[in-house]
Order: sequence, then C-alpha cells, then structure tokens
Amino acid sequence: MLKNILPENIYNILSERVSFNAINELRIRADKPIVVSVGSGRFFLSDHGLSGNLKEAIFATRIMIEDIIFRASECSIYSVNEQIKKGFLVTTGGVRLGIGGDLIEEEGHIKTMTNFNSINIRIPHEIKNCSLTAFPHILQDETLLNTLVISPPGAGKTTFLRDFICQLSERNYAFNVLVLDERGELDLGGSLGNFADKISFASKKVGFENGIRSLAPNLIVTDELGGQEDIEAVRYSVNCGVNLLASVHSDSIESFLKKPSYSKLIEERIFKRYVLLSMRNGPGTLEGIYNENFARITKY
Amino acid sequence: MKYLILGFLAVGCIFIGYIFSLKYSRRAKFFKALVMLCQKLDVEINYSRERLKTLFESFDEKTKKQLQGLDKNYLTYLANNTSLDESNLFKGLNFLKQNEKDTLLIFFRSLGRTDLASQSKELKNFEKRFEEFSSFANGENKKYGSLSIKLGIIVGLIVVVLFC
Repeated sequence: MLKNILPENIYNILSERVSFNAINELRIRADKPIVVSVGSGRFFLSDHGLSGNLKEAIFATRIMIEDIIFRASECSIYSVNEQIKKGFLVTTGGVRLGIGGDLIEEEGHIKTMTNFNSINIRIPHEIKNCSLTAFPHILQDETLLNTLVISPPGAGKTTFLRDFICQLSERNYAFNVLVLDERGELDLGGSLGNFADKISFASKKVGFENGIRSLAPNLIVTDELGGQEDIEAVRYSVNCGVNLLASVHSDSIESFLKKPSYSKLIEERIFKRYVLLSMRNGPGTLEGIYNENFARITKY
Repeated sequence: MKYLILGFLAVGCIFIGYIFSLKYSRRAKFFKALVMLCQKLDVEINYSRERLKTLFESFDEKTKKQLQGLDKNYLTYLANNTSLDESNLFKGLNFLKQNEKDTLLIFFRSLGRTDLASQSKELKNFEKRFEEFSSFANGENKKYGSLSIKLGIIVGLIVVVLFC
C-alpha cells in the first residue's frame, strides 16, 4: 500500500535500506527533514537509509505532502473529507495518516482542512499472539470480562485488540464481536476472524447504539476511548449487557487514575480488567494486568 | 474500364471529404461527452462519493467511446504513481487545440484534489467552460464538417467531368 502513496524515491529507500517491518512511524513535515521511528528510536531519512546527521536528511516539501494525501485518498480527497476533518486518513491497507494543516471552520463546525503541512504515517503491524498472555485473564470460565487496555500512543493498543479478536476466532469462541473501528485501523483486511462484525468511521455514540440495536453483539471492541461522549457510550453498552474491550491513552495506571472523566467508570467498577502496555522493550511490552480494584494480577 | 476508374476517383474524393468531416464531428461528440462527464461526476461525487477510479470505470460505453481514450489515459495515470502531463493525458487525441489541452489538463489535475464543496464548484465551472467548447465545436462541425463532404462531392464530380 505504501508503494502507492509514497514518492518513489522515498519508498525505494525505505524498502531497500530500511525494513518496513521495523518502522513504526514516518513523520513528514513541510520543509523539514523526514523522520523515521524505528523501535523507540527516531532517525532522519537520508539517501543511504537512516541517519543521525541532519545534513544528510531528505527534506519534505508541501507538494510532496499534498501528493501523499492525494494518493492515500485514492486520488479522491472529496471521498475522505469526513476523515480529514477529524485530522486523519486511513488507507485501504489500514495505514493511518495523521494530517496537520489549516482547519476551516464555519458556524462552529469544521468544514474541511486545507494547506496540509505535515503527515504522520503510522505503519500497522500484525504481531501474532501478542494478546495471548492476557487472554486467560480477560476470558475466564467462558465469560468475557470488560477490559480496558491502557498504553501511551504507539505502544501497541490497536495491535493487541486486533490480535485478541483473532485469538477468539481461532479458538472458536463464537462470541458475536462488534468491532467499532472509528478510524479504520483495526481491520487490516480479513484480520478480524470469523465472528466479527464491523462498523467503521462512526463515532462511539452512534456506533454503539446502532451496533447493539442491529447486530446484537456479545462483545464490543473499540479503540481509543476519549471524551465524555465515549464514556456515556461505554455505560450504555454495559447497561445493555454487552461486554467491552477498549483502549485508552495513558502511560501508567497512576496517570490513568488521574483522568477525571474516568472516575465514575472506575468507581462503578465497570472494567474488570486493566491491561497496561508500554514501549519499555519496544511497542507492545506487557507491563501488567490489573483487576477492578487495580490490584496487580500478574507482573512482567 | 475508364468509367470504373472515374467512379473510384469520385468515391475516393467523397471519402477524403468524409474523413475531414470526421475530425469535426469527433470534436463535437468529444466535448458533448466531456459536459456529460462533468455532470455525472458532480452528481456521483455528491451522492455516492465514490472514488474517481470507480466513477471513470462505470461510465457507459457510449460516453467512453466519445471520450476517445481520454478516460483510459486518465485511468492509467490513476493506476500509476506518475505525474499528469500532456503527453500521457492526450495520447491518441490529435484533434485538440492547445487552449483546449491546457483547460483539460487543469481540469484533470484538479480532480480529486479538494473537498466535496470545492470539487463540486470546480466541476460546475469546468462544465460551463466545456459547454462553450462544445457549442464552438458544434458550430465548426456544422460549418466545416458538412462543407468537407460537399467539397469532396464537388471535387469528385469535377474529376468525373474533366476526364469524361
């Protein structure tokens, strides 16, 4: 997929001199050097591959950025305007582009984004069995426990969720799984197993309500819970008797507990399991699994 | 034998006249198809928001034929990670004038580059421009297209009269 969206010279350097499997993220900013995140390190992209020397770095241009976005939208920006308004764009292969530019607002509503000036290309990785250690703690006695995956950005939340859905399917747990894929990142094309339905690019509120009503799921899997509306959607789902596997941005249990919007959920013990991921040994490092009282069940 | 050759010469002259007239009718049909293309794109983009590739592929055969390979050239550009220029867009289209090529190039370069509202406005603007081209090409076709056939017939008759 990246071959279709990146400029030929950039793609050739990345594929010949750097391995795509090792790359987590590409940062392309107008008139600035292209930065590649590999593991937990960041390097400039040069003609020779990765470099720590700014003088060797390849600089991006505004036209390059516009072309990448144009290609990523399959040459049809109008068709992905709703995504661009939210600041991202997901390609058919599940590659997510975070986009920076000028937001045009009209009467309090975002109309579109223009003058694109930066892109953050996140390259998804399918890490088989990465959720396996946590699996028996989330699924106990054939019962799914409401679980929240906590991790900083880029530490493997989405990969964990995707693998968990896959593990359920591979073990023939025929739970009806509803994947609420708000940013189109969870499904890498057939990677969600045999028992998953998917609603894409809908807000949590709309997706939860419609999905529960129409698809009668046993489990809802969703990525990156955010504001109060998402919390309400979680409460709605639990009140409907639907289990939940979700993720949230936070770098530790302590900082998560300080988030005021989650205090009610924590008090009500809606989530029975908390899985903490970090970047300590690279993305997806499992730091611990906690119960509803935040007592550590396992330590890694 | 002489009359047979004269007959062939007369038919040949008429055929040459017809070939000249084809250029004008092709231009007229081409610009008419371009206006239709703009209208279809505007409706589909606003309604289904399908990607350009799908929209271009879904045109009916008649419109495709009248576009005379322009749609195929554009689809080739969409499929390849290349830049859009005159040489690849107008491949096989030798009846266009330079100002028409310039407008068409700007049109195809602007496709898919903006949000829905801007794209729709641009399409409407280009539709008007193509309507102007279309009415001019229609006028040319009426004037010179039929003239070419008539000239062919006249030349054919002159040849017959002169050599009889």
